[in-house]
Amino acid sequence: MVPLSWYLILAAFLFTCGLFGALARRNAIAVLMGIELMLNAANINLVAFWRYSGAVTDLAGQVFALFIIAVAAAEAAVGLALIIAVYRKRKTVNVEELDLLAG
Amino acid sequence: MPIEIPIPTVTQVIFLVMALFTAACGLMVVISRNLFHSALFLVGALFGVAAIFVLLEAEFLAVGQVLVYIGAIATLIVFAIMLTRGMMRGRTSPMNHVSGRGALGALVFFVALLAFLKKVPWPEQAQAIPVDESLIAGLGDKFVTTYVVAFEAVGLLLMVALIGAVMLARDR
Amino acid sequence: MNIAALTANLHVILPEMVLAAFALLVILADMLRQDEEESRLLPLLTLAGILAAMAATAWIWNRPVASYQEGAIADGFALGARTVILVAAGLATLLSMGYLPRINRQMGEYYALVLLATLGMTMMASATDLIVLFLALEIFSLALYILSGYYRKNPRSTEASMKYFLLGAFASSFFVYGAALLYGAAGTTQLREIGNLLASDHGNPNLLWPGIALLLVGFGFKVSLVPFHMWTPDVYQGAPTPVTAFMSAGTKTAAFAAFVRVLMEALPAQQIQWGWALAVLAVLTMTVGNLTALRQLSLKRMLAYSSVANAGYILVALVPGTAQGSKAALFYLLTYAFMNVGALAVVITLEKIDELDALQNRAAGLADRWPLLALAMSIFMLSLSGIPPLAGFFGKFFVFQAAVEGGWTWLAVVGVLNSAISAYYYLRVMVAMYFHEAEEPVQPRRWGGLSLSLALTALATVIIGLYPSLWTGFLSGLGG
Repeated sequence: MVPLSWYLILAAFLFTCGLFGALARRNAIAVLMGIELMLNAANINLVAFWRYSGAVTDLAGQVFALFIIAVAAAEAAVGLALIIAVYRKRKTVNVEELDLLAG
Repeated sequence: MPIEIPIPTVTQVIFLVMALFTAACGLMVVISRNLFHSALFLVGALFGVAAIFVLLEAEFLAVGQVLVYIGAIATLIVFAIMLTRGMMRGRTSPMNHVSGRGALGALVFFVALLAFLKKVPWPEQAQAIPVDESLIAGLGDKFVTTYVVAFEAVGLLLMVALIGAVMLARDR
Repeated sequence: MNIAALTANLHVILPEMVLAAFALLVILADMLRQDEEESRLLPLLTLAGILAAMAATAWIWNRPVASYQEGAIADGFALGARTVILVAAGLATLLSMGYLPRINRQMGEYYALVLLATLGMTMMASATDLIVLFLALEIFSLALYILSGYYRKNPRSTEASMKYFLLGAFASSFFVYGAALLYGAAGTTQLREIGNLLASDHGNPNLLWPGIALLLVGFGFKVSLVPFHMWTPDVYQGAPTPVTAFMSAGTKTAAFAAFVRVLMEALPAQQIQWGWALAVLAVLTMTVGNLTALRQLSLKRMLAYSSVANAGYILVALVPGTAQGSKAALFYLLTYAFMNVGALAVVITLEKIDELDALQNRAAGLADRWPLLALAMSIFMLSLSGIPPLAGFFGKFFVFQAAVEGGWTWLAVVGVLNSAISAYYYLRVMVAMYFHEAEEPVQPRRWGGLSLSLALTALATVIIGLYPSLWTGFLSGLGG
């Protein structure tokens, strides 16, 4: 059996990768990919906690993870539509070049 | 006294291989220069997470992960990359000007998180899943009983996404 | 599966059901309408939905506290928060009426999304389960990302929308990761059960702390606490102003209501630790918000930083972790909904057509030609700076009182000092209106709904201040 901590460390690493991607990438789509990694990390945590919890038939962790997958799909659909809408207007999806809003 | 090196079991070896694959793909997603490569590595990482779900005996979730994440989300992302072509291979670095601070922040975060995780006494064993009980049926049952509010909420969420996507796609 | 169990206490989510039904009706009406003229009916239908949801909320208030399927609860606090959210949504709809046709003709989708966002907010305010809470948060967040970009021809609007999306989704993933760790620590997603488990020393403290910290980051983004507030000025400035008005009051109320519930029900035993974290965040938020607001030339950016500062004041009420503090926070949110939506309504009147913002010099000399408008703006500015006897004064008074009685006197002092700083930039707008010459003749925009919402917000701001007996009932209805 794999110890729970291994799963948690993997999740923490994936979350950190996503965090770095979201903070450091220029391209909005790359930022979105980072965010997807972060959500996946949370899902690994949830399923691992469910599996190692005392009550396996209480499926809270799995239910939560399933809903997060649905949320990620909705987020990606709307987010990519927004990104493409920006691209049509400005011909760029570089977050740094989008600077019309400022004091 | 000789130091005993724990011999990993078969499951552990499978886990380690999958975890390394997932982690490597995840890292490549964020550091790859070519955006299209990033998307392919993302697909790899998502597959890896699905495999992890199988190891955790959450098969239904693994199928959902493949269908929704790889079938829908990753495909959408590839489409978006194609539609915003020209951004794919920048002349300059794919990183923004705060990437150094971002890396530092992420590293600090990771170390802090590990420091907490290290201190927890972890169960090494999980309970066996009762054979006489179908977890998928249980999942369906939970959706219309305990989690019925959440289930309805997801429906509404998808409706919002639908209306929003239609509105953004249609120029009037 | 048991049908009787499924319909028991269904009335708890009646307001949400009403809102969902009206959202569908709006879409249907938009599809069936014959010509552009008939689209005027859409905002009226939206208002009808919001009023019906208010009526449903009022009706539930007279029934015993109940919860539906361990997912949503109808206690006084949830109902009070719902009321504030519905008020904000109604006012925003009034503001949208004459605003929309000029910028984009997809009005059916707009109003449907406003109703669905309202639904998400009310659902979040009454959620008792981390899963429901997160889903509700996502419902209104997604709707607001889209609404911020509603002015499609304006690049600022689409840019605001994309930035809001990226930062919002980023914050959501923190929230989810935090929720996952909390689930790991307690083994359940039910807020009250988490509280029970943690109080009895079960659970895993080493998962708890990172969990709470990450949840805090997620909430911090949504209510724009410093240092998670970077998106606020950009989004407030770039979004169509009625949407700004709606999200400033609505998102804050929903997120703070849920935040209060998480802190009070799931984590009351840890108050000593998170109390300090919140106190530090509150000081930072108030101070940075107010000091940055001083430097803004754009009215909407000034109000955005003012909204950051206001989030700080509300956070002060949460620090002691008392029931009194929660009530004070909710009352502050009520007054904030009126005065801030009112101030943004004035901004709408001053905006140039096709611009999303008005600079402060647009207000110069307003009092000479439009005395009533200048009077309304003065009421909002005075109320926001906390001058008695307006609504904002009582909001601040209760918040600081809760802090003092909870033993956090120094925090209340910092809050009062911050109010004093804020008075400077609020009053500067009034000075411009009354004592400066107009640089260019301003012809305020007007339509029925705009005038009505201006009148309503100004009257409410004054009446709440002058007749406290009217709302002490509201406060006692919030329950212990």
